[in-house]
Amino acid sequence: MKSMLRSGIVGLALLAGVATAPVLRAQANKPAKIKASAIRVEMIHSDEIKLPAEFQVSLYEDLIQQLEKKGGFQHIYRQGDRNAEKVADLVILHSTVTGFKKGNEELRQVTTVAGATSIKLHCVFKDKEGKALLESDVTGNVRFFGGNLRATYDFAKKTAQIAHDSFSPTAGT
Amino acid sequence: MRAELQRVLFVGFLAAFSPWTLATFAQQPEVPVKVVQIMGLTGVKNKTGGKLTVDGGNLHFVHGAAKVDVATASMEDVVTGADSQRIIHGTLGSIGLMAAPYGSGRFLSLFRSKLDTLTVKYRDADGGLHGVIFMMPVGKAEVIKKELLAQGAHTTAPEEAANAGASSPAAKEQKQ
Repeated sequence: MKSMLRSGIVGLALLAGVATAPVLRAQANKPAKIKASAIRVEMIHSDEIKLPAEFQVSLYEDLIQQLEKKGGFQHIYRQGDRNAEKVADLVILHSTVTGFKKGNEELRQVTTVAGATSIKLHCVFKDKEGKALLESDVTGNVRFFGGNLRATYDFAKKTAQIAHDSFSPTAGT
Repeated sequence: MRAELQRVLFVGFLAAFSPWTLATFAQQPEVPVKVVQIMGLTGVKNKTGGKLTVDGGNLHFVHGAAKVDVATASMEDVVTGADSQRIIHGTLGSIGLMAAPYGSGRFLSLFRSKLDTLTVKYRDADGGLHGVIFMMPVGKAEVIKKELLAQGAHTTAPEEAANAGASSPAAKEQKQ
């Protein structure tokens, strides 16, 4: 009986080890974060696709709100903020709209499978000298409920997560 | 004496109801406009209802006891929903969109047709760029925009196409 209990515990320990191994390996393989104590968000550019002013502002403001909410930076500056110039390890986020797929709020509400709106942006995180540190294509979607502005929120949330995962005020953490 | 009085009343009536006078009255937002601040105003939560006025070189947003002022001189761009549609679709496209029911291809319009938007980009004291979106009843955004421009704000939207719209082929057809 005692030996059965012992083998059971050993088995459980082995199972736990097998289950946690990939997670630990992933953590070990995770690239080190880039040191940056502050970020400056530039206004969203839309060279090829004509974007309504309210959509452009919504993307910009949502992005700042989500970066503040997510944390990870000591300061979040807006485009043109003079205080950002004093920060040595500043990261500047440039976002350009590269795609827009038309959606339909009514169709979304009725079918819940059709009428999705999506907006695609190319995000480049640069240092003060203009060197690109990280580039990523981010898509904001609104699939089920909500107006078209919900797509800007989705984009902002994803981009803030990328920034949080890639940068840290203390290097190599 | 009676004829003179009648003449004075007639001239007064004409002056009071002339298109010029009516247009001047129409552009004065003496009454605060009920709006919803969608996002962007510092210290105000998203989707907060309030009242908007333009006075003394400032845009005032009042919500209960809270009051936020933005100097018109700091405004770099004031754009209405109609301006956005005109920029994207052109004047004729905007007219077509106005006629189209919601959901029949109006993919870029963010709000329902009975509501208008006013988007303002302005700089804070440190030079930081802010963007604010207000939602209000149709027609009010244009009035507030004109008032802001008169008090020192700027816009990147091309000259209002109201005149262009009136002289467009579609408008001419309707007139005939």
